[in-house]
Amino acid sequence: MPTLIRRTGQAFVAAEDVFTDVADEDAIPDGPVILSLTRFQAEGDALVTAGRSVGVRIQPDEAVEDLAYDLPRLALVAAVFPKFRDGRAFTTATLLRERLDYRGEVRAVGEVLRDQALFMVRCGFDSFAPADGATPSDWAKAAGLFRHVYQRAADGRAPAFEERG
Amino acid sequence: MYRYDAIDREFLADRAAQFRDQVVRRLAGDITEDQFKPLRLMNGLYLQLHAYMLRVAVPYGSLNPAQMRAFAHIARTWDKGYGHFTTRQNIQFNWVRLGDAPDILDHLASVDLHAIQTSGNCIRNVTSDPYAGATAQEVDDPRVWSEVIRQWSTLHPEFSFLPRKFKIAVTAAETDRTAARAHDIGLRVLRDADGALGFEVMVGGGQGRTPYLAPTIKPFLPASRLISYLEAILRVYNRHGRRDNIYKARIKILVASLGAEEFARQVEAEWSKIGEGRDLPDTELARIRGEFVKVPFETLSPRSAGFEAAQAADRAFARFVRNNVKAHKQPGYAIVEISLKAPGATPGDASADQMDVVADLAERYGLSDIRVTHEQNLVLPHVKLDDVPAVHRELAAAGLATSNINLISDIIACPGLDYCALANARAIPVAQSIQDRFADPDRAEEVGELKIKISGCINACGHHHVGHIGVLGVDKKGEEFYQLSLGGSGAEDASLAAILGPALPADKVAGAVDKLVETYLAIRHDGERFLDTFRRAGMTPFKEAVYADAH
Amino acid sequence: MKALTANRLIDGEVVFWQAGQWVERFADAELFEGDAGEDAVAAAKAQPTVVVEPYLIDLAQGPGGLAPVSYRERIRALGPTNEPTHGKQAEGGAAIAALQAATGAARSTGRVDLIRRK
Repeated sequence: MPTLIRRTGQAFVAAEDVFTDVADEDAIPDGPVILSLTRFQAEGDALVTAGRSVGVRIQPDEAVEDLAYDLPRLALVAAVFPKFRDGRAFTTATLLRERLDYRGEVRAVGEVLRDQALFMVRCGFDSFAPADGATPSDWAKAAGLFRHVYQRAADGRAPAFEERG
Repeated sequence: MYRYDAIDREFLADRAAQFRDQVVRRLAGDITEDQFKPLRLMNGLYLQLHAYMLRVAVPYGSLNPAQMRAFAHIARTWDKGYGHFTTRQNIQFNWVRLGDAPDILDHLASVDLHAIQTSGNCIRNVTSDPYAGATAQEVDDPRVWSEVIRQWSTLHPEFSFLPRKFKIAVTAAETDRTAARAHDIGLRVLRDADGALGFEVMVGGGQGRTPYLAPTIKPFLPASRLISYLEAILRVYNRHGRRDNIYKARIKILVASLGAEEFARQVEAEWSKIGEGRDLPDTELARIRGEFVKVPFETLSPRSAGFEAAQAADRAFARFVRNNVKAHKQPGYAIVEISLKAPGATPGDASADQMDVVADLAERYGLSDIRVTHEQNLVLPHVKLDDVPAVHRELAAAGLATSNINLISDIIACPGLDYCALANARAIPVAQSIQDRFADPDRAEEVGELKIKISGCINACGHHHVGHIGVLGVDKKGEEFYQLSLGGSGAEDASLAAILGPALPADKVAGAVDKLVETYLAIRHDGERFLDTFRRAGMTPFKEAVYADAH
Repeated sequence: MKALTANRLIDGEVVFWQAGQWVERFADAELFEGDAGEDAVAAAKAQPTVVVEPYLIDLAQGPGGLAPVSYRERIRALGPTNEPTHGKQAEGGAAIAALQAATGAARSTGRVDLIRRK
């Protein structure tokens, strides 16, 4: 059973995944659920209005901007990496944080590998469903490997030129 | 040149440590080859035909002597005593062991070098004018902007898993020595009517299976807005570039399918949302710029008696000056090109001993500045005219004084099927057969500027699409055949070469080139280069000359 | 007739399967008739920390002996043609000469995989 890894600040901890990932053709169970974008757009409004904890799964070719109005009511957005080489979810997460000002949980799902930990953290992901059996300690190590970064990103970390003062 | 500070050095050390750990995990079987491959590619390590190949970044082609000596050391210690300079101003070592790669990266880091992002679906080494800081032509020093882009693009978290590789070139002079229009992004530095500094932004060029010249997406981008605009381009590409077919994944395909206007509109829309938040502060721009202005030129007379006397006395030296020595913006100085296309040698290769000679000459005579060109040669950009004869003597002793820059024997050739796992045919023997045919330096000078570029496969690392004569190796039923094309140019008059005719077997290529040259010599007007004559006269006379026997 | 080849993980060296071991000389490679090599391929693929991308190559009788059909595989078995002192060809001898004398006109069985891979 893959552990969910959650980041708070610099720390990475194992977390229980309270959400059920619901396929489009399945009935929606009780409890916190993650729906596809299309299903959310059809049925999601009723669920959040009823006070349910709802998350949306965004595929790489889906426009996260379509969620703009609903974001304040969403518990979670899961951005999918269908293959680890598909880097579109990095943009999805960046837009969620920087453009859409989303403060809820942004989760990396799919083929999520520890060697991308730093990139994911910098793009604003704060939870990860690892596909390679990596532990929170593996993620902390991978995400903490670089003492400096060169460019601004969604995490707001000071780039090298700001360190130089 | 840009000097690394403690922050830059810590970054390289961290990167080398990261890769060392990744290699350990791979050797232990903790990650699969499929997971490891992008990681090693993003550190420039390819698995080629005979061994691993390491592509080391030479940022915008700029090196100091310590770095060149480090290449010599790497060549001797971990390779077979030589290296290969490439069409993106990098250096490649052909015989690397995966087990040694972490040590090599550590050694590179000790002289402020690395192999970061020299492969992989990420932003690659930014290339620029090898004459930067030495040519009177430049509007501004393109290395400033190249360094800005290098830092911004290094481990960019959003753009490290693009649909495909991404190559950026920066040119700032009238003469484009970077092939800017053949890049994913080409930036031409210019000033507007009020003298404000900015860039013409060209997006969507590229060679490979379907070559394109980049259209101009934005005629004038204010210089201070460079980073935010690049972010907009990369974001549009990251989101909308094709990921279903690697042959249709470059940004050139996206620009062509949307049309330049629509692509520009999408970038503009994204850019307006990004705003100025990502642009570099003026202080940082000034800091980087400051690294490039401090060149301790002496005040000299524009003419050097010694330099002129040496030409009169020594025909070989005079030939060297005619072909390899170029005008410098500072009176009394010259730009000296070092050809790595000696007869019988592998184009672009330099031995460890030769690297040491170049390092030495740069230190003693060249203000410790060395450049790599995208035509696989080296440059000492700042040599006093007084010193050029001594430099020539020492280059000659090391086999580095071939006087053929931009001539027919100054051939660009990728490593090809002799080394490369992607190749369909060999490139080096074809290059050598043409060089043999034109070994007579007088004849080569009579022919004049003629850029032959040879690629061993459609990936076009030899830049054959922008050769005056382009040669593409193909595999025809298990045998090596070569398709010739004419009329390409990677300079400011950019054009894509047009196919001459059916592919020829390897042993017919030099003869075909001979016929092309004969045709040119027969019909050229005064002052016309081969390229000019082709553009005026068209394909017909050349095609007839090469294929007449077939009728 | 076929042989099984791969690149060794640790150093990228071209190697050939020989009864459960990996050898560096083509001359020492185990030969397979028909489908006989498939078990070896499976075994090789189960060694991800030893070799990378094992695959079968077609062989044919040349003037000096058996050689890979495709010139790409002959270059892998010999070394770069522009530098005779580099690679396996530096050893010289009859086996190397046999490879150098061989010519081929058919495509290597490794070719199709190669194009898809990139």
